Amino acid sequence: MIARTESSARWKRAFVILGAAVAAYALLAPLTSLDAVQSAGVPLLADRLWFRLATIIAMFVVMATAWNIIGGITGYAAFGNVAFFGIGAYTTGMLIAKAKWPFLLSLPLAPVLSSAFAALIGIPLLRLRGHYFAVASLGVGVAVGELVQNIDYAGQPLFGGATGLFLPIDAIDNRGLFFFYLMCGAAAISIAVTWLVLRSRFGYGLIAIRENEDAAAVIGVNTTAYKVAAFALAAALTGLAGGIFSQWNVFINQENSFPIEYNVQMILMALLGGTGTIFGPAAGAVLLQLLIQFLGGTLPISFEIPFVSETVRPILAQVILGLLLVMVVIFVPRGVIDFFGGRSRLSLSSLRRSLRDTSL
Amino acid sequence: MNAAAPQLELRRVVKRFGGVAAVDGVTFQVEKGEILGVIGPNGAGKTTLLNCINGVHRLDGGDIRWEGVSITGMAPHRIAKLGIGRTFQIVRPFGSMTVRENAAVGALFGSAAARRGPKEAFEIAEQVLELVGLNDKAAYPVSALTIPDRKRLEVARAVATRPQLLLLDEVMAGLNNVEIDEALEMVRAVHATGVTVLVIEHVMRVIIGLCRRAIVLHFGQVLAEGEPEVVLRDERVIQAYLGERYAKRLRASDGPQDAR
Repeated sequence: MIARTESSARWKRAFVILGAAVAAYALLAPLTSLDAVQSAGVPLLADRLWFRLATIIAMFVVMATAWNIIGGITGYAAFGNVAFFGIGAYTTGMLIAKAKWPFLLSLPLAPVLSSAFAALIGIPLLRLRGHYFAVASLGVGVAVGELVQNIDYAGQPLFGGATGLFLPIDAIDNRGLFFFYLMCGAAAISIAVTWLVLRSRFGYGLIAIRENEDAAAVIGVNTTAYKVAAFALAAALTGLAGGIFSQWNVFINQENSFPIEYNVQMILMALLGGTGTIFGPAAGAVLLQLLIQFLGGTLPISFEIPFVSETVRPILAQVILGLLLVMVVIFVPRGVIDFFGGRSRLSLSSLRRSLRDTSL
Repeated sequence: MNAAAPQLELRRVVKRFGGVAAVDGVTFQVEKGEILGVIGPNGAGKTTLLNCINGVHRLDGGDIRWEGVSITGMAPHRIAKLGIGRTFQIVRPFGSMTVRENAAVGALFGSAAARRGPKEAFEIAEQVLELVGLNDKAAYPVSALTIPDRKRLEVARAVATRPQLLLLDEVMAGLNNVEIDEALEMVRAVHATGVTVLVIEHVMRVIIGLCRRAIVLHFGQVLAEGEPEVVLRDERVIQAYLGERYAKRLRASDGPQDAR
């Protein structure tokens, strides 16, 4: 028992150091792209590809951390959170492209509209429990994307239709750097919000709902209000990421603002890292997004798979992700943080135990 | 608020499930400061009655009044805030939390007129765990608790909400004799802090040991009401529990020695 505690403390320390090193590198490397730093002879650590990848990772840190609030802490498996990402993207996109608002003025409206929508659909949806809520939320996620693409007003597509929406290119110096740090700011806000929630009365109420909703109600937790608030909070953060994405990418359409696979990916990230924890979903987002990019062949380090042509590689990546989801749920139901803490092991007995636990 | 009104009053309460009236016109009162027992054979509607009082079920008829004011149709969390706490027959602990956290969450919510912060809630949790005899296991995860201890925790969490009336749903079920004695002590200790208690029980010893007054439910109706010793000798009650033939045999002999 003592030995295990010591080893898990050692693992924990190693992880904190590793995490801090990765974060420090990610936050400082972009500075080498500044002209002043370049002329001083510092090697370039962040090129265009680096910025693209790092910003996407930060975006997924926001989404996975936000999903964790409703899915991990409250225990409601929301499968349609991508709707909030898309609503955020289209809110900012429409305000900039059609109403000619400046970016920084239209960005705050993305989380506002996303959370308002979440509260609206949350009131009927969150009455459903378990699988029913998961399926219903998935339906909403798909439906919103279709609506945005197909709503017409006076014969014209209201939101750009199938061609999508082009935003005017912003005149910002060091564009990649700016949007990377902005997305990191959103990630920091999400993690800070999770930290605050877990320390508050609100957070204890949400955990009580997850553990036993009936028991939570009879000790005085207003379960409906708490669930809707958690859903709206998750939506606000997801919408914020969407809002930043729209101006960063300059072009939005149904495909890049409402991708169904994001729904699965953010959940998988939270599961992989550890649901209900503060940093787990963020760690899962970094690991999984790197894996996705690696399998997709967009990383500088790549690999050749025998008998697999380039065209089917994205499909193979999906297969591997699916297998990974199965492995994670069976072997490390409480996330990799737990796994490396020494409490879970890859063994037949832990497989049997977790199958027994999950089938209850 | 009416000073003369009983703390809790049920008036012809009806709850139906499809064609079955699980609670069928039940009327009784709970006076402030008493321990009232509710007994009845399996399926008599005891737990349904509890669910009606604390708002888990919507009534199909009748009225429930708390200190003279109707609480019919209120959501469970609002009834909890008024000061009615309850336990579940099948314990429902918050599994990912420690014993201390379970009690603290009760204190964090519950009947607070003034909002309590986490720090105060944990102080209340310590006191409550002491009261139910779980203080030396406060840091345990729920999974490490025995069944009797889980029942204690269920009571602790309900008591931590600071109720004026506590509804206990078969907290003694499944316990052995020694454990029942300990649980009786616990309920008396909780009652001594000024909480009105309504106990639903199957174990007659518990009702006789705790209550001055008991109500017998049968097929959703009040069959008898009065002192436990008297109620348990009531022929209708014996019939309800043991059947007509046994009742006749008892009549032939001296009468029940032990109603259990």
